[in-house]
Amino acid sequence: MKTRTYFLAAAAACLLLFAASASAHKVSVFAYADSGKIYTESYFQNGDPVANGRLKVYDSSDNLVAEGETDKQGLFAFEIPKADDFRIVIDAGMGHKSSFILKKSRVEAEIKSGEKP
Amino acid sequence: MRKWFSTLAALIAAVVIFAPVPGQAHFGAIIPSEDIVTQQHEGDLALEIKFLHPVEMEYMEMEKPETFGVMHNGKKTDLTGRLKPAGGKSPGQKKNDTFWKALYPIQRPGDYTFYTEPKAYWEPAEDLFIKHYTKVCVNAYALEQGWDQPVGLETEIVPLTRPYGLWTGNVFTGRVLVNGQPAAHAEVEVEYLNESAGDSGYIEPPFSPYVTQVVRADAGGVFTYAMPKAGWWGFSALTEADWTRQHKGEEKNVEIGAVYWVRTRDVK
Repeated sequence: MKTRTYFLAAAAACLLLFAASASAHKVSVFAYADSGKIYTESYFQNGDPVANGRLKVYDSSDNLVAEGETDKQGLFAFEIPKADDFRIVIDAGMGHKSSFILKKSRVEAEIKSGEKP
Repeated sequence: MRKWFSTLAALIAAVVIFAPVPGQAHFGAIIPSEDIVTQQHEGDLALEIKFLHPVEMEYMEMEKPETFGVMHNGKKTDLTGRLKPAGGKSPGQKKNDTFWKALYPIQRPGDYTFYTEPKAYWEPAEDLFIKHYTKVCVNAYALEQGWDQPVGLETEIVPLTRPYGLWTGNVFTGRVLVNGQPAAHAEVEVEYLNESAGDSGYIEPPFSPYVTQVVRADAGGVFTYAMPKAGWWGFSALTEADWTRQHKGEEKNVEIGAVYWVRTRDVK
């Protein structure tokens, strides 16, 4: 019983420590279009990647047009759905949420280059 | 004992005050249009490369730099071909002196360290050449990676304080390197870029020691200075080059400077 209490206390302390170290680093997401695809990079302020983060993409009418999970490098890519402004939202958990607006002008040029053979 | 200390303190103060500080310090400068690039950023980053007296706002004629480049993600890109001449002068100067402008598109997150190696400038008043290797760091899209890496110049300041996102009153700490090694006890001159004062008003030095602040690096080449006003601050670590250069058939010494620029903002 006593051991279990200690274990729980230790686990709680670990969680608190982890939460404290993570919250000192702001989460960001960056996106760019290239050759028919949109590439996203999600990272903490110090450069650590946001691994297994939930990423959602909304069009200018706020419709969800793509979603997925970031890989170990914090990367996630998807086909350009259409020519539009996109709001890309990363949710790294523990209240770490951030978004990036990818402008239509940047997307349009890359739809065409993606169509090239 | 106490009296002895106060006498010593007065003596040290006298030495510091009357030490021969050159009245006008020369500074190489790279000033970007933005020090922090965000999602709201549109178009190219505009950079101005100058050789001037920052407090007095006097320009010197600047030849086209030998090198202008940027380091991002540990990779150096030469941007010398982007340099375009421009003219600038202080309110008191009659004619324009040449400075240089460049445009650069910031396309990825991370720190961009811009650097320049100018041509050596002949200064007859000091009977030597002056060559100021100059750097400035621009942060993009909240990824704070790269600012603490040396570029590999003959002499340079490597920041120990993150060189952006600084408040007025913050300190800036840096390490002076010459040929990659710490420059023990190097003299570092500090000046405020009066051009960047904006609405807060120019600095008007009450006495000449207020024009250029002077700090000396420690044995490890590390120096610190606290910046009292919002705007751009230049740090110039001066050493003598281990090479000379000819002027009218005579070998002359070369003062090499490692210059770094940071921007402060008022706490609001």
